[in-house]
Amino acid sequence: MFMHVFSYRLKCLLRDRETVFWTLIFTLLLATLYYFAFGHLTGEQERFDPVRTAVVDSPAYRGDVRFQQVLASLSEPGENQLLELTVADEQQAERMLENGSVAGMITVGESIGLVVKQSGIEQSILKAILDEYAHTTKTVVGILAKNAGAAQQLISELGDRKGYTEQISFSDAVPDTILGFFYALIAMACMYSGFWGLRNAIDVQADLSARGARRSVAPIHKLGVVLADAAAALAVSFAEVLILIAYLAFVLRINFGNQIGYVLLTCFVGCIAGVSFGGFIGTVVRGNEGVKTGILIGASMTMSFLAGLMWVGIKDIIARKAPVLSYINPAALISDAFYSLYIFDSHRRFFVNIGMLCLISAIMCAASFMRLRRERYASV
Amino acid sequence: MQVFKAYFKVMRSSAASIAVNLGVFLGIAVLLSSMAPETAVMNFEPTRTPVAVINRDGNGQLAQGLVDYLGQTSRLVPYPDDPEKLQDALFFRNVEYIAIIPAGFSDAFMSGESCAVQKVIVPASTSSYYVDMSINKFLNTVRLHRKYSGEGSQAELVAAARADLAFDTPVAMKSFGTATGGERPGYAYYFAYSAYALLAMIITGVSSIMIAFNRPDLYLRNLCAPVPSRSTSLELAAGHGVFALGCWAILVLGSFVLHGKSLVASGLAGLYSLNTLAFAAVSACMGFLVGSFVKSGGSQAGAVNVVTLVMSFLGGVFVPQSVMNKSVLSVGRFLPTYWFIRANDAIGELTGFTADSLRPIYGSILIQLGFAVATFSVTLLLSKERRLSHL
Repeated sequence: MFMHVFSYRLKCLLRDRETVFWTLIFTLLLATLYYFAFGHLTGEQERFDPVRTAVVDSPAYRGDVRFQQVLASLSEPGENQLLELTVADEQQAERMLENGSVAGMITVGESIGLVVKQSGIEQSILKAILDEYAHTTKTVVGILAKNAGAAQQLISELGDRKGYTEQISFSDAVPDTILGFFYALIAMACMYSGFWGLRNAIDVQADLSARGARRSVAPIHKLGVVLADAAAALAVSFAEVLILIAYLAFVLRINFGNQIGYVLLTCFVGCIAGVSFGGFIGTVVRGNEGVKTGILIGASMTMSFLAGLMWVGIKDIIARKAPVLSYINPAALISDAFYSLYIFDSHRRFFVNIGMLCLISAIMCAASFMRLRRERYASV
Repeated sequence: MQVFKAYFKVMRSSAASIAVNLGVFLGIAVLLSSMAPETAVMNFEPTRTPVAVINRDGNGQLAQGLVDYLGQTSRLVPYPDDPEKLQDALFFRNVEYIAIIPAGFSDAFMSGESCAVQKVIVPASTSSYYVDMSINKFLNTVRLHRKYSGEGSQAELVAAARADLAFDTPVAMKSFGTATGGERPGYAYYFAYSAYALLAMIITGVSSIMIAFNRPDLYLRNLCAPVPSRSTSLELAAGHGVFALGCWAILVLGSFVLHGKSLVASGLAGLYSLNTLAFAAVSACMGFLVGSFVKSGGSQAGAVNVVTLVMSFLGGVFVPQSVMNKSVLSVGRFLPTYWFIRANDAIGELTGFTADSLRPIYGSILIQLGFAVATFSVTLLLSKERRLSHL
């Protein structure tokens, strides 16, 4: 009997085109749009490119051979190239600055100066380079005043500047912020499983739908119906989230780390949370279908927003300023589970997330059960 | 006037979803305007990269000197020595550089042994180069002093290095006539995002009316009503026009409430309003198109979301066109949002009202109107065929 109810419920849910659109097609569309709009951003925006610079070709510049040498060595093509240098007359350099083809314009007169159009990191790097030139000059002059004998050695050592930093990494994962958007999107898809849970809740209560009334008088134990319905909803939503994950991983090449088993576990637990959330809204909230749908959409969008769907940083802000909120928000737990899998080597935080999700789902299921059990209708 | 009056009675049924769109947009606009700097910065401000320094060499004066110097050239964000918290901070860019000074660093450095500050960074990022420059500059200066100037103690060396590094290269800002110092002003963002609000509100409103008036039985009844069908269509069109104008007026009014002072000072309010007006016309025609294809409230919600999100994302409403992928943008050119944003960006960068600088703006506005006319004609053509199929 369970299989009978299950298979018919499955058909019934799959024929609900509108809900399939919102839970599957809409999430796929949003993933595609995210990818096209900013999928490439972190890499391109943050990667260092040599700073395009103009230097004004003045008699003073031509006279300063050492400065010319320094600029030339900084703009030598290779791994350590810091500048992309153009030597131009003043008018030409200003034009380049105005139309944005250089970030700054170096002027050599009595002292070395910089002209820029706006503040920014490229301009700051230019200033740092010029500062460094002035600072080194000052150091050398200062040392020679005290210890004139060191001149030869000192000059030879200037060319050999040491690098005093060593890159290490806590884990092999590249901290790519954009991933946060996609993890929040999966969290949204899981929370949208709530639409299936809500449909189940409406189709099983006699005062909410004609179908609920018919099923209430059917000669089958209510718990059996509820469990079969829930299993069908879970099957549909898990399949949908798997399609989304496959699309993200294989078509859009979003990185989930390489722990496929844990990724699937997260999806499954996320779907359970979503379906039980929908069931919870459908049973505990009073009102007609429109009200319940409205609350479900509003709540799942709020939770997804707090998990970083529109602005990635909000998830971290909540986690630092109001940590309780991130432990009770299923969407934040789901996206944090994906994040933990990707970024950390240990699974401690991952299992905290999964555990909290299970706990929240259990509480919502229990509440729905208490509400549904032994419900009697004076007239159906 | 019968139809025109009925128009706004029907509109009440979709007032809630239009209000939600408007509310969300205005909420975001208020949030953004509170975050944007009100006065343009006209002096050069060096970027201060957020850095977390973990000093495990607590007793070393050299290490402390380095931390102090970093505090001057970057923005130090206090974080505990906890890898999990630090990884969170780097992923969400609360810090862009984590510098770990290992225990015994100062002593190793003083005795000339090889030693290094460990860094955790976003690989090959610009900000990591920038912070590297500060660290290397400081330590190289200390090294030269230690080797050649005879200063012995760590404190002396740090003081000598800090004295050398105190000089600042003079930086001049040249604004080339823009009033904003190269920064994108707050109202430019407002008008860019208003494309999303206009699309969502106007398409929802116009298509709701269309769905109501296109219900087969109602449509057939209206056909045999003693009102010429020409005047029905004209009154509906007038309703659409008034509704679109109303949405546009609300958004323009909003821009004055939020950014009034700077907007008036820039003298660009007229151009921005003209551009959004053209886009309101596009939105009305898109609503006309959507309304003649969908039949129920459910599919309408889907269609409105798909159309507005696709047009907004690919046209550069949410992510500035300047940072968008070139191939995505070349697809975006076939959307009116692309031309709206192009005009919007050009208005923001306007340095003077010359014919040369205004031409691209008017060009983009005309292209939007072209899209509006094309959408309208296609819809008319398609709906005429379908109307005949009723009979």
